[in-house]
Amino acid sequence: MSRAALPPATPMARQILDHRSLLQRARTLPGEARVALALLGIMTVAALAAVGYLVIAGTLDGRWYDIRDLGNGTSHLVYWMERQGWHPAIPYLTTGLLGGLGILSLVGGWLVIGSWVERRLLAKFQIRQGPNRNGPFGLLQPIADALKLIQKEALIPIGADRLLYYLPPVLIFIPAMLGWAPVPWAARMSYVDMNVGVVYAIAISSLGVLAVFLAGWSSNNHYALLGAMRTVAMMVSYEIPISMTLLSVVVLTGSLQLSQIVAWQQQYHVWLIIVLPLAAFTFLFASTAEINRTPNDIGEAESEIVAGFHTEYSGMKAGLFLAVELGNAILVGAMMATFFLGGYTLFGLETWIPGYLILATKIGAVYFVFVWLRGTLPRFRLDQLMGFAWKFLIPLAIVQLLVVAVEALVIEQSGLPGVATVSGAILVNALLTFFGVRAWANAIGYRPEAGASTPILTTAVGGLRAAARLQAVP
Amino acid sequence: MIPEQFGRVAILLVFALAFPVLPLAASYLFGCLRYRPDNPSPIKQATYECGVESEGTSWGQFHARYYLFALGFVIFDVDIIFLYPWAVNHAAMPVIVLFKAALFISILAFGLAYAWRKRALEWR
Repeated sequence: MSRAALPPATPMARQILDHRSLLQRARTLPGEARVALALLGIMTVAALAAVGYLVIAGTLDGRWYDIRDLGNGTSHLVYWMERQGWHPAIPYLTTGLLGGLGILSLVGGWLVIGSWVERRLLAKFQIRQGPNRNGPFGLLQPIADALKLIQKEALIPIGADRLLYYLPPVLIFIPAMLGWAPVPWAARMSYVDMNVGVVYAIAISSLGVLAVFLAGWSSNNHYALLGAMRTVAMMVSYEIPISMTLLSVVVLTGSLQLSQIVAWQQQYHVWLIIVLPLAAFTFLFASTAEINRTPNDIGEAESEIVAGFHTEYSGMKAGLFLAVELGNAILVGAMMATFFLGGYTLFGLETWIPGYLILATKIGAVYFVFVWLRGTLPRFRLDQLMGFAWKFLIPLAIVQLLVVAVEALVIEQSGLPGVATVSGAILVNALLTFFGVRAWANAIGYRPEAGASTPILTTAVGGLRAAARLQAVP
Repeated sequence: MIPEQFGRVAILLVFALAFPVLPLAASYLFGCLRYRPDNPSPIKQATYECGVESEGTSWGQFHARYYLFALGFVIFDVDIIFLYPWAVNHAAMPVIVLFKAALFISILAFGLAYAWRKRALEWR
């Protein structure tokens, strides 16, 4: 009997079987809609051709309406204001407010659509439908959620420290927003092109720990305090691998300025994820811990400690805690894209496509990986996570740092052509990643042949002798 | 240069604070207008404990293992921050500087090995 002959067992199965792709739906469109779509397509192609002509002719370069780089508009605005003879604080404040509004609308807009994107993607990974009731494709679901949260009763537990209880939902937004400041969106388009960008990014990202701990402590709830303790322990542990991998990035590129790191990747036509694969993996994994996402969301493990540090928060305050995770996810995506994926550049295509769109695409790709990890991996145990940071990532990061230091000297001072030295560095780092990871895993007791039914690596890095003893019991 | 850059960050800080405060204020305003329910009771406001009454306060002593990790974090983080100035200027420096930095890093590595040996990294 063929599969189609079976009647769908459930409404859900019927929905999945009845699913048609966008192309299939387009085939059944009425004639008027087809004509309108064709006209729209022709107009888009014509507009693209016109833009392409302007780009080739060079008449667009640096004009205020050159939207490939929104920095052109603001610099023209500043120039105009200076010509008016106004106080220099006015252009400074204006550009600051404009950029602040830009970042605010970016984060705010993502909070509106992000929860929908995340839930729909997760649903796809788990072969579900996801939210699909409110509005087309369920797009109005986040708005419905926000309206529900804002109308809920704002309860405060009796035993809580009231002032400290109110602070964390506000404070936790500071790293999520301020972290965007040094990110370069195009050659002249960054909110602040800081000369200490990397150190600033590390410093700002570690502020989140304080808000988390305040939330757990002020709630006066055992679960909340336990969740906060776990989160703080995990976040501080994973901050060291992050700092060390960024140290090797800085050693190689020779700058703390994020735009200079992008410029290095542009200069050598290579992404740092290829030059430093181990560092990129460490950064990706450690940043999922740093922003408290599954598989590393041990601080708010629902199955163990209710909701972790925000157990006692309800209504809009809980909503802010949930929202900031989405904001943090794309912030880390932006950092990952800038440090390891070439930032706003795409091998010359940034002349044609606005750099901020390229960066947004890369952020989306990294975010997809985050959702993928969340949909695939189970949650790790706390001792496994801590052991992985201290016994695996940090020693390898130290070795990586020393190797990269030698490579940076060779690249800068040997006088050989950059192609040769950088290719050599890529080869050495690839070998280091492959053999170093294997050798170190062997050294700390990982035996892949010992059978997949026992978690040998996790026991080895977690150092949990109790687990080993439990497994020895027949 | 530096004050100019961090002045920008201060402007951004205003946005960062306004962003979460606005929905909280809206929620509070709804409460004042009696648009959302606002009937606290001792049962609702009790500390959540999976159905049983909470025993005592949670503001007390905590396990020392967290302290060990925090201590390790402080040592490592400070040392790494000291390495950043070297990292920026590294490529332009003579080779001898690399050996000095390697000495510094190896002290870090030795500290890690010592902590490992003393079983400070075990989650007990």
